[in-house]
Amino acid sequence: MMKLRNLKFALNSAWQSFWRNLAVSLAAVLSITLILILAGVNLLVGHAFSQVVDGFRLKVSEISINVADGTPLQAIYDFQDQLKADPRVASVKFITKEQALLDFQADPNNAVFAQQIDGNPLDAKLEVRVFELKDVAAIDLLGRRWAGVDPTDPTNYQGDFVNRMLELSSWLGLAGILLMAILVVVSVVIVMNTIRTAVYHRRKEIEVMKLVGATEWFVRGPFVIEGIMTGLIAAAIALSLLVIAYQPAVERFHSDLVFIPLSYDPTFISSLARDLLIGGALLGALGSYIGVRRYVRI
Amino acid sequence: MRYTAGDLAGRARTRPTSQQEIQLMVLTPDFDSRPIISFQHVWKTYPTGTEALRDINLVVPEGDFLFLVGPSGAGKSTLVRLLIREEKPTKGKIFVEGIELGRMKRRQLPHYRRKVGLVFQDFKLLPNLTIYENVAFALRVLGEPDDLVQSRVADALDTVGLSGKELTYPANLSGGEQQRVAIARALVHAPRFIIADEPTGNLDPATAWEIMQLFLRINARGATVVMATHNREIVDLLRRRVVAIDAGQIARDDRSGRYHDEVTKPQIRAQ
Repeated sequence: MMKLRNLKFALNSAWQSFWRNLAVSLAAVLSITLILILAGVNLLVGHAFSQVVDGFRLKVSEISINVADGTPLQAIYDFQDQLKADPRVASVKFITKEQALLDFQADPNNAVFAQQIDGNPLDAKLEVRVFELKDVAAIDLLGRRWAGVDPTDPTNYQGDFVNRMLELSSWLGLAGILLMAILVVVSVVIVMNTIRTAVYHRRKEIEVMKLVGATEWFVRGPFVIEGIMTGLIAAAIALSLLVIAYQPAVERFHSDLVFIPLSYDPTFISSLARDLLIGGALLGALGSYIGVRRYVRI
Repeated sequence: MRYTAGDLAGRARTRPTSQQEIQLMVLTPDFDSRPIISFQHVWKTYPTGTEALRDINLVVPEGDFLFLVGPSGAGKSTLVRLLIREEKPTKGKIFVEGIELGRMKRRQLPHYRRKVGLVFQDFKLLPNLTIYENVAFALRVLGEPDDLVQSRVADALDTVGLSGKELTYPANLSGGEQQRVAIARALVHAPRFIIADEPTGNLDPATAWEIMQLFLRINARGATVVMATHNREIVDLLRRRVVAIDAGQIARDDRSGRYHDEVTKPQIRAQ
């Protein structure tokens, strides 16, 4: 009962304090909103990029070993079995020359070119998928050493490009984390300063509370709640703006940069909402907690 | 006789715990009730190097009414701050009801302050709260239930003669009335002792006298009162215990004293 009364007191005080120092409170809400928008954009771009990278990983973890014309079918099956037995290999698929041509013709991008083809210039191939991306190079080497490989165009492996892409993605991930860390620090400092102002405005009340024997956390509680309130309001505003802008921004970006397969992912919004609201509340709580520990002493 | 028989009856006598206490008890042989406050060789030096208090030894028995007098800067306020544990002594020990304040942990502090009623020269009322809310504030921070708050606040306002002004704001009250509200707030949680720092400093003589009557009534009910004051007329009229502090030391401790030392300041007495 006593705890409930204290909570009621803290909620009331926090609400009153928020409105009493409306200018400062709004400034804090706006600053945190901006920061959370940046954080949200960071999350959205990170999500889009990880989708791109996932697709890319899937693509490059598969290589085609081209089979020279005239290689006996048995030799191909033997090599296919040898690859299947390899623990690094997930799957091996044999595509005949005819199938390769059909696949080529089926692709609408090749429509004009396909009409001009005389006969079947395409190789039969073994499509090998590996479990781990790092093993692609070893399988590529295995393929190149195989007697049945097409010596003019052995595989479609692009070693350097794969490594560079992977390096880039890990750097981008790191940059995202760094940006988040900076945003967290900045918002904590903003909340701390808001709390300092609120503490200053209510110093007389705090002094009286101390003198009549209020516990330290009874005095601090309302400020922490005010911080959480600031964070939650800011998160709600940031979330609304991001949800409104998400689809048009993706469409705009998509038409400008066609080669990056960015897409609108409505399922991501719920996880974005969760992250922003929890993040906002935590930032507010952390900033005000540090603030009251510094400025409210008994 | 300052205390009624009822006040002292049933109080266990505490055995002196140190040589110093024995000495003090011998010096003041009528202090037969339990000491509520005891200063033992207390020194206070501020970080700036200012020596605010030097070797203070003081015993306040339960139910006592004590005036702390002395010029500004003598150390009265430091003594009050030590008593409410806003400051810790640099050397020495302060006991309140047997508990040593210097060793008290921070989280115990609120519980200690709930036993003390504090009254200040500037009243320290919250301007945005009504009189009722100001007094109730002292109980709200303790998480007391509403019905208890209501009856206790009504009692306290009745004691200070402000019944009927519950919904007024402090700005609409006179200085004397504001101080009454502050006293009601100090009384509302039924403290064992009251510390008042210049409670009449901002009041005209007639109002100051009314406020003093109130403190006397509270004291008569059994609460110990320690009051720092510059009000010579009141001290001289009441002839209660007077502890004079000068340059951080106790200059005199008279059981039935006056504001000025009768030997060293005859010119004041003649006025």
